[in-house]
Amino acid sequence: MSEFSITEPIFGISQVLLLVVLSPLIVGIMRKTKAKSQKRVGSSIIQPYFYILKLVKKEEVVSDQSSWIFRCNPWVNFATTVSAAFFIPVSIVYSPFGVMGDILLVIGLFGLGKFFTILSGLDVSSSFGGLGSSREIMFSVLVEPALLITIFVIAIFYGGTNISMIATSANEISFLASPGVIFALIAFFIILMVETGKLPFDNPLTHLELTMIHEATVLEYSGKSLALIEWSQSIKQIILLTLFVNIFIPWGISDNFSLTEISFGMLFIIVKIISLGILITLIETRIAKWRLFRVPDLIAISIASSMIGIVFFFI
Amino acid sequence: MIFPTEINLLDISAVILLVATFELMVSRGFSNWVNAYRYQTIVLAGIVALIASITNIWELYIVSALTFGIKAVIIPKILFYVTKKLDSPIKLEIHPYINMKLSVIIAALLVAMSYFIFLYLDIKSNEIIQVFLPVSFALFFIGLFVIVSRRKALNQMMGLLTIENGLFLFAVSLTHGFSLIIEIGLMADIVLGVIISSILLFRMSITFDSIDIKNLESLRDD
Amino acid sequence: MLENFHLVYAIVGFFSLGAILGLFSRGKSQHVYLTYIPSIIGSFLAVILSIVVFTSEDIHITLSSQQIFNFEIFIDGVAAFFILIIGLISFAVSIYSLSYSKKFDDKKNNSNLGMLVNLFIISMILVVASNNIFFFLIFWELMSLTSFFLVIYEHDNENNLKSGLTYLVMTHLGTAFIMASFLFMYAQSGSFSFDSFRDAGIIPDYVRDVAFILAFIGFGTKAGMVPLHIWLPQAHPSAPSNISALMSAVMLKIAIYGIVRYLFDFNSIDDSSNYLWWGLGIVVIGSVSALVGILYALVERDIKRILAFSSIENIGIILIGLGLSVVFASFNLTSLSILAFVASMFHTLNHAIFKGLLFMTAGSIHYSTHTKNIEDLGGLIKKMPWTGLMFLIGTIAIIGLPPLNGFISEWLILQSLLSVFQISSTILQVSLAFASLALALTIGLAAATFVRLFGISFLSKSRTLKAANAIEVPRFMLTGKAILASSCIVLGILPFIGINLIVTAFNLSYTPLSPFEPLSIITEDGKSFASLMMPAVLMILLSIFVSIFVFVKIIGGKTSTKKYNTWDCGFGGLSERTQYTATSLAEPLSRLFAVFYKPKNEIINSFYSDQNQYLKKSIEVSYTTRNIFEEFYDLVLSFNLYILNKIRKIQTGKINAYILYIMIALLSLLFAMGTGIIE
Repeated sequence: MSEFSITEPIFGISQVLLLVVLSPLIVGIMRKTKAKSQKRVGSSIIQPYFYILKLVKKEEVVSDQSSWIFRCNPWVNFATTVSAAFFIPVSIVYSPFGVMGDILLVIGLFGLGKFFTILSGLDVSSSFGGLGSSREIMFSVLVEPALLITIFVIAIFYGGTNISMIATSANEISFLASPGVIFALIAFFIILMVETGKLPFDNPLTHLELTMIHEATVLEYSGKSLALIEWSQSIKQIILLTLFVNIFIPWGISDNFSLTEISFGMLFIIVKIISLGILITLIETRIAKWRLFRVPDLIAISIASSMIGIVFFFI
Repeated sequence: MIFPTEINLLDISAVILLVATFELMVSRGFSNWVNAYRYQTIVLAGIVALIASITNIWELYIVSALTFGIKAVIIPKILFYVTKKLDSPIKLEIHPYINMKLSVIIAALLVAMSYFIFLYLDIKSNEIIQVFLPVSFALFFIGLFVIVSRRKALNQMMGLLTIENGLFLFAVSLTHGFSLIIEIGLMADIVLGVIISSILLFRMSITFDSIDIKNLESLRDD
Repeated sequence: MLENFHLVYAIVGFFSLGAILGLFSRGKSQHVYLTYIPSIIGSFLAVILSIVVFTSEDIHITLSSQQIFNFEIFIDGVAAFFILIIGLISFAVSIYSLSYSKKFDDKKNNSNLGMLVNLFIISMILVVASNNIFFFLIFWELMSLTSFFLVIYEHDNENNLKSGLTYLVMTHLGTAFIMASFLFMYAQSGSFSFDSFRDAGIIPDYVRDVAFILAFIGFGTKAGMVPLHIWLPQAHPSAPSNISALMSAVMLKIAIYGIVRYLFDFNSIDDSSNYLWWGLGIVVIGSVSALVGILYALVERDIKRILAFSSIENIGIILIGLGLSVVFASFNLTSLSILAFVASMFHTLNHAIFKGLLFMTAGSIHYSTHTKNIEDLGGLIKKMPWTGLMFLIGTIAIIGLPPLNGFISEWLILQSLLSVFQISSTILQVSLAFASLALALTIGLAAATFVRLFGISFLSKSRTLKAANAIEVPRFMLTGKAILASSCIVLGILPFIGINLIVTAFNLSYTPLSPFEPLSIITEDGKSFASLMMPAVLMILLSIFVSIFVFVKIIGGKTSTKKYNTWDCGFGGLSERTQYTATSLAEPLSRLFAVFYKPKNEIINSFYSDQNQYLKKSIEVSYTTRNIFEEFYDLVLSFNLYILNKIRKIQTGKINAYILYIMIALLSLLFAMGTGIIE
C-alpha cells in the first residue's frame, strides 16, 4: 500500500457492510437446511430479516432490577462484533484495516462482548440469567487455551497473527502441502461450533434450562435490544465462518485490486460460507446435545489436536 | 487468483492415521472402539499400499490386502461374536483411572515425545522412514498408555491391538516389508491371541459378573 | 544539577514531615490532613523526579564516603521507572486515604496510620534509590517492618495478628536469602557498593549462579511467587484497604525491581548458555504461580483475598515475561528479548495501576457496607454508581480486554510467547509452546474470577441489608480512584506513552513510537508478524456505536420502554435468595478442576420426626473447597513441630543432664583430636 487512496477504506467498509447485511441470510439458510433434513418445510430463508425488523419496532420491557449495564450490553455487543469484522479479509487477501489489528485483537473484541453479556445475565437477578452466565463462564475458560494454541499453530505455519499475512500465506502454502495445519483445522472447527452455540454444546432453539447457554443470558431482552443481540450473534457467526474459510480453504481469493478478481473472490467466498454453514447444520442434525461435563472432553480434543499440530511444524 | 498445486500425500496419510488413533482413544463404548479400530486398520492398509506404490515392491500389496482382510474384517467379527453375550454396561468405560480430557492431552504429549525420540535417534532416513517412524512410536506409546489407564479388560485389549499396529507400521516403514511368510505368521498370532483373550474375558465375566480388572486382584491368595 | 538534588531531598523531607506530624498529633480529626497532605505532595514530586530522570541524566549523590556507611543514592532509568510507579500509586492512595482514614476515627492511635504510611512510602523510594548493600538492606527492613505494623493495625481481630506473624516470618526469610546473596557477591568483589557488582569480570560464574538462586528465592518470597506465597492471601486482606493497595500494587513491584536489577544490571546476559536455565526456571515458576494464583482466586468469598490471589497471578505473568526475555537474550535474539522485557515491565506498570484501583474500590465497598464477604453484597451499582464504574474499569483492565491497558500488555506477552519459534532449539520451542497453554488458561480463569467478583458484588439485587443500605463514598476516595482509572484508559488507548516510557527508562535499543504509528512486530524477513493500532480501533468502535444508534432509531422509530419485574415464569415473588450466588457461579469450574480444590458437597437434612423422613424441616447444603497449598504448609509445619518436640526432650531442666552433655562434648572433642580427625 504505497500511497493513501480513498478507495481502500471505502472498499473495506463496504466489505463490512456486506458481512453485516448477509449474516441473517446465512442464519436463514442454516435453519432451512435443518428443517428440510427433519422433513419439515421450515420458514423462508429471509425470515430472520423480517424478525429483526419486527423487533426493532416493538416496545421494550426492561426489568426494574437491572442497571445501565443491561441497557448498554446490546450496543456494546454490536459495536465490538462489527468492529471485529473490519480486520478480516473477505474477498481480497488483505483487508484495508489489517494494519490496525490482528487476530488477537479480534478475540479480544469478542471477549469484550462476551464480558458484557455475562454481566447482563447476572444483572437481572433471575436464576436463568445466573445459569446462563455460569455456563458461559465455564465454556469461555475452556475455549481460551484451545483458541490460543490453535492461533499459535496458525501463526507459526503462516508467519504471523496479522490476518492478512495469514490469508496470503495460506493461499500460497495451503494445507495440502503442510498437513500439520489439518490439526489446527480440526481444533478451529470445534471452537467454531462452541462459539456459535451449536450442538453438541448448546441448543439455542429450546428454552429449557438444560440446553440453554447463550439464550439464557439474553432471556430478558425485548424490542430494539433483542434485535441488536440477534443480529450481533449472526454477525459473529458469519465472521467466524469467514475466518475459517479464509485461513484454511482460501482458494479462489483474489490477491490484487482488479475488479474481476474481486468479484470472483466475492462469489467464491459467499459460496464457501454457505456450504460451510450447510455442512455445520448437517452435522448438527446427527448429534444430540451432550451432558454439560462431557463438553470439556471435546475441547480437550481440540487442545490436543493443536498440540500435535505444533509438533508437526518442527519436523 | 491462486490455486494450490502441491500435494504431500505421505504427510497427509500420517495425519489421517493420527486422527484415527485419537478417535480410538476417545471412544468409550465397545462398538465405537471396534469401529475406530477398523478405520485405523483401513488407513494402515492404505499406507502400506502407498509405500508399495512408491517403492515398487509388489509383496507389499499382498501385505496390505492381508492387513485389510484379517484386521479390518476378521478380527472385529471375532470380537463382536465372542462379546455378544456380555452385557453392555460391562463393556462401557465409565470411570477410567485417568479421565478422558487428561488422557487426550497426555496422548498429544506422547506424540510430541515420540517425535523427539525420533530426532534424538538420528537414523539415516529416507522420506518414508522420516514420516512414519515417529508415528509408529506414537502408536506404540498411545497403546501402552491405553492399557495403563483403562479399567475394563476389554478396552485394554484395544491398547494391545494398537501396540501391534504400531509395531507393524514400524516394521513396514523400516524394512519395506518382511518376507511374506513372517507377515502371515504375525497375522496368525494376532488372530489366535484375540480369540484366546476373548474366551478368557467371557469366562471372567461369568465368574465375576463384570470385567472390571479390580476383581482380578481378589484372586490373590490373601 | 541543583534541581535534581533538591528534588530528592524535598521528597525525603516531605515524607519525614508527614511521619513526624503523624507521630505527634493525636486525637483530633484534622490531623488526617496533616499527615496525608505531605505524602500527597511527596508522591507528586516523586513522579516529577522520575520524569526528570527520564529526560535528563541519572542522579548520583554520595553523602559520606566511609567504607561501609557509604550512603549513595543512584537513580538511573530503572530506579526512576519504579519511583514513577511508587509515586503515581501513592499519590492516588494518599488522596483516597484523606477520607478513608475517617473509618478509623474511633481508634485512639489513628495518627499512627498516617505516620506508618509515610514511612512505608519513603522506605520504598529509598530502597529503589540505594546503590549500596548496607543501605539497601536497611531500607528493605524498614519497609518490611512498617508494613508489618500496618498489617496488624486492626489488632483487635485475632486473625490479623496471625496473618501479621506469618507475614513477618516469611518476609524475614526472604530478607535472609537476599542478604546471603549479596554477601556472596561481596565476598567476591570486596565492596559493598552495587557499582562493583556491575563489573562483569570479577565474579566467577558459579558464584553468580548461586547468588542468583538466593536472590531469586529472596525477592520471590517478597513478590509472592509460588510456593512462597502463603503470606500474601493472609496479609493483604488483614491490612486496611489503602495499605493493601500500596502493598499489592507497589511493594510487590519493589521485589520485581530487585530481580530486574540482579538479572540485567549485575549480569550482562549474552550468547552463552549459562543463563539459559535461569530464564527457563523463571518461566516455569512464573507459569506455576500464575495458574495457582488464579485457581484459588476463583473460589474465594472475601473480596480482598480474591484480589490478593490475583496479585500472585499477575506477578507470575510478569515473571514469565522476564524469563522469556532472559531466554531470548541467551540465544542472542536481542529484539525479541527487548519485546519480552517491555511486555513484562508494561505489565508491571499496568498491574500497579489497576490493582491499586481495585483495592481502593474494595475499601470503598467495605467503608459503605462494612462487610468483605461478596455473598452479602449485590445491587451496589445503583447505590454506589461512581464506585461501580471505577470497579468496572478496573475489572476490564485486569481481564485484559480492549481498549484498556491490560489488553496491550497481555497482547505483548502473547506476542513474545508466539515468537518462540525463532529459537534454534526444537525441544525448547515445543516446551515453551506448551507452556503458553498455562498462560491462556490463566487469562481465561482471570476473566471468570473478575466477572464473578463484579457481577455478584455490584449487580442484581442486594442479598443482605448491609448492601441495601450502602451509600456512595466521599469525594476524596472517588478522586483517588478516578486518577488511576483514567490512567488505565489513557495507557490503553495510547499505548505509545507506556512503551516510550519503558524504552527510555531502560535505555533499550528500540526507536520510540510516534503516536500515529502502529505497534508492530516484524520478523527477520521484514514481513509484518503482527500490528496493532489502538486509537484507530477505538475510533472504529465509537463510530459503529454512533451509526447503529442512528440506524436503529431511524428504522424503528420511536418506541417506549416499560419497566417491569424480571421474568419469573409466572410464579411471582422472585427474591434475592433465588439469585445465583458466588459459589454457584464458580461451581462448574471447581468441579472441572477438582484435583486442585477437592470440593465437598454436603447435604444435611433435618426432619420433623425421625419416623417420617419425607417431611423435611430444613435442608442445609454446603459446598466447600480446600486450599491445597495451605494444607501442605500446615503439614510441613506440623511435621517440623513433631520433630522439634522430640528434640525438645534434650531440654530436661535438670542440671545433671546439662553437665552430662558438656562432658560428652568435651570427651568426643578430645577423642577426635587424639585420633587425628581434627587438626
